[in-house]
Amino acid sequence: MHLTRRDFLELAIVTGAYLSANPVSALANMKYEDIMRFKPVGNVTLLFTTDTHAHLDPLYFAEPMNLVAPKKLAGTPGYITGWDFLRYYKISPGTLEAYFTSCVDFPKLAHKFGKMGGAAHITTIIKHVIAERGRDKVLVMDGGDTWTTTAIGTFTEGKSVVDWMNYTKYDLFVAHWDFTFGKEIFLKRIDDLKKGGCEFISHNIVDELWGELVFKPYSIREVGGVKLGVIGSSFPYTPIANPKQFVEGWSFGIREEQLQQFVNELREKHKVDAVILLSHNGLPLDTKLAKVVKGIDVIISGHTHDVTPQAVRVGKTLIVIAGSHGKFVGRLDLDIRHGRIRNYNFKLYPVATNLVPADRGAQKIVDRWKAEVTKTHKLNEEIGTAEVMLYKRDTFFSTWDWLVGEAINDYYGGDLDLVLSPGYRWGTTVLPGQKITRDHVYDYTAITYPNVYVLKRTGKDIVARMEDVADNVFNPDPFYQQGGDMTRLWNVEYEIEVYGPQYKRIKNVWIGGKPLKENKEYLMAVYGGPPPPPDAVHPDYKSVPVYDILIDYIKKKGNIKVRTKPNVKVLDAPYKTYEECFGT
Amino acid sequence: MITRRDLFKVAGVGAVALAAAPGLVGQSFGAKKISIDDSLKEHLGVGLSGLKESNLITIKAPTIAESGANVPVQVSANIPIEQVESLHIFADKNPNPWLISVDLSPMNGEVFLATRIKLAKTSPVRAVVKMKDGTLLAAAKEVKVTIGGCG
Repeated sequence: MHLTRRDFLELAIVTGAYLSANPVSALANMKYEDIMRFKPVGNVTLLFTTDTHAHLDPLYFAEPMNLVAPKKLAGTPGYITGWDFLRYYKISPGTLEAYFTSCVDFPKLAHKFGKMGGAAHITTIIKHVIAERGRDKVLVMDGGDTWTTTAIGTFTEGKSVVDWMNYTKYDLFVAHWDFTFGKEIFLKRIDDLKKGGCEFISHNIVDELWGELVFKPYSIREVGGVKLGVIGSSFPYTPIANPKQFVEGWSFGIREEQLQQFVNELREKHKVDAVILLSHNGLPLDTKLAKVVKGIDVIISGHTHDVTPQAVRVGKTLIVIAGSHGKFVGRLDLDIRHGRIRNYNFKLYPVATNLVPADRGAQKIVDRWKAEVTKTHKLNEEIGTAEVMLYKRDTFFSTWDWLVGEAINDYYGGDLDLVLSPGYRWGTTVLPGQKITRDHVYDYTAITYPNVYVLKRTGKDIVARMEDVADNVFNPDPFYQQGGDMTRLWNVEYEIEVYGPQYKRIKNVWIGGKPLKENKEYLMAVYGGPPPPPDAVHPDYKSVPVYDILIDYIKKKGNIKVRTKPNVKVLDAPYKTYEECFGT
Repeated sequence: MITRRDLFKVAGVGAVALAAAPGLVGQSFGAKKISIDDSLKEHLGVGLSGLKESNLITIKAPTIAESGANVPVQVSANIPIEQVESLHIFADKNPNPWLISVDLSPMNGEVFLATRIKLAKTSPVRAVVKMKDGTLLAAAKEVKVTIGGCG
């Protein structure tokens, strides 16, 4: 059971669920069989996970309150969240499905339904479907962001996750953060995967100098008696969003013309019955890609962590994406005959930890690696208590990032004018009243380049940087977006017009309550981006890993209470507050 | 995708281009900014209003550059080579927008140029095909130069 015992007992007594053998099941009014219910269709089953971010252990993870969109994309999948999401997909509030797919009443529902995900639970679902359908009808795929960004992933150099993937028998893989172990380890890991029968494919990684493919662009598979061509697309902006040195000599990009050539090649030369794109491009980008490239039947998307309870249709292309953090396993059944998809059925299985039993073999792998990392990193050590919900995902502001700002400033003696925290969409959620462990801190920050740097920057530079990131988030053309959220700025208040013209979105900025001065130099801490040039780093402030700073700060403070009020005012688009979604 | 052979083919053309672009080396970004309009006038005799938008020209370039200092750009045009006089590339926001001018002849076989350019900041990359009858056909693609660091 992954509820705190007291919360759980209270709830169980109130609802009478204590009479049942599986109380969570009674509360959810659902059993494992209900979660697994699915009407099989046709001859092909695609099973897929994406963006698990190395969460081998179950967790809480709230969907965002906001997905503020460029004007012409507002209200489209990828930009619907909270109450709007429930209405759009006709999901009843308070249900298990609502808990998994929206932020609405998250803390309350977390107590009711418990944790989400967990590698061993994912394995159970995958094995279940394979047993039901037969191995020859199923293709198991992962969309990347799988090996790193937790302690167990990062401190084992991805080996723990690869072990689990091989045990679970994945067939195909694409990547993004996985590259941040550097080329050498990355290549070693994909070799490990290959030994387990899983292929890494990517059409969009080429040698920087010669333009030649570095990896196999696609894989042709016989599934359910038909021939499938699966093309891989790793994150197009890996060398830009993450330090370039990890993929030195490789060039990425969307490469849509090249993709069209491969689609044609699969159809004309290899006579495949269907073309599938396994992608880490992000849902908005893939939605545009489906309009630009002709002949893709299915896009299994990833990167932007979106949840699509129903497939998105663009012309003849079906696009689906299975959320993040191991919360879902996607299943797309296809009836493919004579080169045509005649019918399909789609579902995202919610990986409700308390309802889906753990696969014993997979759990053993997870436990072994967890024990290994715990030895060196004391993962279970309780370092404080959350008084407000700590979360990361939102377009502009999060309680976690504000805490990071406070902690970093405290570490550097209170000297800082501002702290920049990256707009990643991954992390975890710590419920109000929940103990904060070291593991939680790593869940938010365990990357291979964790150092904090202190720099001097003029007001003008700071605004230019904000504008730059804002355009990566709010550019109306998804081909120019990077699929993350806005950089978070601690000790800064600002106003933004997200529909504004490129590089002219930021309106008023205050640092420490005073209007920003263009020519004034400010002392700023940054982490989680490409490292600044060494001569730009302030010599008086030592660079240290952000997780070390946080662990010490949380220990020192004990009870963690940070503001829930956003520091950003959106002048031209709706922007919801904490209370509107998570409840008070 | 560019094959090795294509690249060598282009390298030949590129040499011509470089010869035709004196002053490119040593042109510092600190120099006085020339507007795209003035630059077009200087090299082609007319400004932006004298260009005719054409979908026969294709520009292949990244939407977001991996490095502004080295941006691969490929221009091709579905126009019979016999009708074409020259091909030019500009980047509007560079201090000096003019990047390359190449004279083409039927010996080139087709309108095709692959090269690498330098971008000071986010800018439209503009390809202009000068026809033998003097018409200037043009296409543009925005290439973003970014600090990066999210995702």
